[in-house]
Amino acid sequence: MGLDLLFKIAGVGILVSVFHTALKQAGKEDMAHLCTLAGFTLVLLWVVQLLGRLFSTVQDVFKLL
Amino acid sequence: MWLKLLGSIFVIITGTYIGFKLASRCSTRPQHIRQIISCIVSLKSYINYVSMPLPDALVKSTAGTEGPVSVFFRDTAALLEFNGWMNPQQAIKEVLGKMEDKLAIEKPEREILSLLGANLGSMNREEQNKYLNMIQEQLENIEQEAVKTRDQNSKMYKYLGVCGGLAVVILFI
Repeated sequence: MGLDLLFKIAGVGILVSVFHTALKQAGKEDMAHLCTLAGFTLVLLWVVQLLGRLFSTVQDVFKLL
Repeated sequence: MWLKLLGSIFVIITGTYIGFKLASRCSTRPQHIRQIISCIVSLKSYINYVSMPLPDALVKSTAGTEGPVSVFFRDTAALLEFNGWMNPQQAIKEVLGKMEDKLAIEKPEREILSLLGANLGSMNREEQNKYLNMIQEQLENIEQEAVKTRDQNSKMYKYLGVCGGLAVVILFI
């Protein structure tokens, strides 16, 4: 896996915060929240895959069904 | 590796360009509305005090203005002059359709301009004067709103352009 995904997530976080600030300053709060939600969903998709791998590894290690 | 870097730079440059283009459109909108107002004010004088035919009055009213607004009025005048069957509203609609990407105006101004065409040359002088005054007032209100939205939006578009490019790079890298 490496640190790639971690840096990616950090980058998305920084960009989403900038998006949020810019949209909020322009008076578009709803779009700002939508943007934050989109960023969160994107990161969640990446993390869920890793979590799935973690659970399957735990299953393998403890020989669970 | 170098190809990736080059592609990323191109994507960021494109995002920035789109952002700045939208921001510049946003900031030229009040300027174009102001020019349209000044043309309408002089058109009013040409109708009231000189009683000039509409195509000539439209051309004369653009004196001192440059850019797409001047071209818009001149094209409308040319259409009216060379197509006798056309009424001002049709001419204005046709020119607006042609200059959609050059004129930085939005839906409310478009509606007002086509309303302007509907009543030009079809009433007596006093009525036209009243009508032009009303249109001038409406355009002034829209201009004030456009100045407000320019201050808010032009910064936002620049930020969003740069950050959008960066986001695409992060997603695809």
